Amino acid sequence: MLLLLFRLSFLSFFPSLSLSQHFAPTGTKPHQRISVSLNFKQRKQREEKRRMMMKLDTSGLESFSAAVPSAMAAAEDQLFAPPSFDLPAGCADFDKFQMEAKQTLKHAKGTTTLAFIFNQGVIVAADSRASMGGYISSQSVKKIIEINPYMLGTMAGGAADCQFWHRNLGIKCRLHELANKRRISVTGASKLLANILYSYRGMGLSIGTMIAGWDEKGPGLYYVDSEGGRLKGNRFSVGSGSPYAYGVLDNGYRPDMTVDEAHELARRAIYHATFRDGASGGVVSVYHVGPNGWKKLSGDDVSELHYKYYPVQPTPVEHEMVDAPPA
Amino acid sequence: MSIFEYNGSALVAMVGKNCFAIASDRRLGVQLQTVATDFQRVFKIHDRLYIGLSGLATDAQTMYQKLVFRHKLYQLREERDMKPQTFASLVSALLYEKRFGPFFCQPVIAGLGDNDEPFICTMDCLGAKELAKDFVVSGTASESLYGACESMYKPDMEPEELFETISQALLSSVDRDCLSGWGGYVLLVTPTEVQEKILKGRMD
Repeated sequence: MLLLLFRLSFLSFFPSLSLSQHFAPTGTKPHQRISVSLNFKQRKQREEKRRMMMKLDTSGLESFSAAVPSAMAAAEDQLFAPPSFDLPAGCADFDKFQMEAKQTLKHAKGTTTLAFIFNQGVIVAADSRASMGGYISSQSVKKIIEINPYMLGTMAGGAADCQFWHRNLGIKCRLHELANKRRISVTGASKLLANILYSYRGMGLSIGTMIAGWDEKGPGLYYVDSEGGRLKGNRFSVGSGSPYAYGVLDNGYRPDMTVDEAHELARRAIYHATFRDGASGGVVSVYHVGPNGWKKLSGDDVSELHYKYYPVQPTPVEHEMVDAPPA
Repeated sequence: MSIFEYNGSALVAMVGKNCFAIASDRRLGVQLQTVATDFQRVFKIHDRLYIGLSGLATDAQTMYQKLVFRHKLYQLREERDMKPQTFASLVSALLYEKRFGPFFCQPVIAGLGDNDEPFICTMDCLGAKELAKDFVVSGTASESLYGACESMYKPDMEPEELFETISQALLSSVDRDCLSGWGGYVLLVTPTEVQEKILKGRMD
């Protein structure tokens, strides 16, 4: 605190110093190269020092300064250095700082979601865990977002990003309905979202979503991500647990399944992913999208599923103490 | 993720009335992928001394092998088992030997000393001892464990109550950690017997 006051009072004695140089916020012009301005600032500082030193008569001290040159120079530096403040941390290399900032916000899509089309419609399933690095922040996150009564979106990546942009998509779909007097197709809805995400490409949004719905052409499923990709397909799984889910899903998939079989397949796939993947867990939610819209089929706790699929076998006791039988 | 979070672990040791309990989770993972759900982290040194090693699994196993070796030599020379306090100093010295290229493991030592007095201590990866009278924790879930133990612990608990407490503390803490859990393992040691129990936990 004292140092700050000293520096402010020091400044008042040197009105010739241009304030803008020292107190202009860095990065006001986005294209400004910080390294260039540092050199400029350093040059200015050196000029000021030289000007100030010329005012003092150090002839009497020349012999002393020759004997102890370094100490004198250091003292002079401290005494006559113009007031300045340290650049904030990370601004020496602003591009690297920006990259690091985006990295910290980058959620590694710790989740498992899947969706597949079969003869009776679309099944959409997801886990419910939200994790921040190693910490589990919630076990009860809704990862299947109801865009409108006949379209669902899944959430993977940044929770805020997914929630906001899906809601935004829902608004745009409703506006389309009102403007065109008919529902928007799944193709159209996914294209709307993909175009929005493409325009934000490179800014650090993290979204890996699937848009599933039933429109006039039948069931539709699209994968859309924050890199701007949009893919049409029959089976998708997104998130850190997706390899495990794919293994089970691809093995058990048949296009002519009944709704119950498809439900159980989706539930199993997510369960296996939660078992192997650390960032997935909580509750498996399974939805079915049919010609009349979506319906939630189940929400099962993953741990209970584990003990249902693999009940605990009573193991033989290794060292059991029993009373010796009477002779 | 740091090197300590590569495999994931959770360890806790608690002191009761003339007894102690040491518990660990059972997961071995490679970052987020779970590779095994029956991994042993708590090892026996002798009947009244156990060590749990959290952190990098390979360093935990190597550390255990080195310690068993040193203890066997001690047994041959001194013709008796090591006291827990001596053992803790041994672990500390071995860890500090590698000061500039350490083992990435954090031990939790629990034993019954003279007069059946329970002894627990933990160390960081360089051997700084932290003796405690109530409980010690270690691993990726250590912050959750501190909170759970602090609220659930009471001094002078009987063995059954101690087992309940340590199990609940462990299970509720690992449920908040992505990298540990998948079951629990509790070792309860009293002057007359040793009980090993496997806990049924959340497998996600």
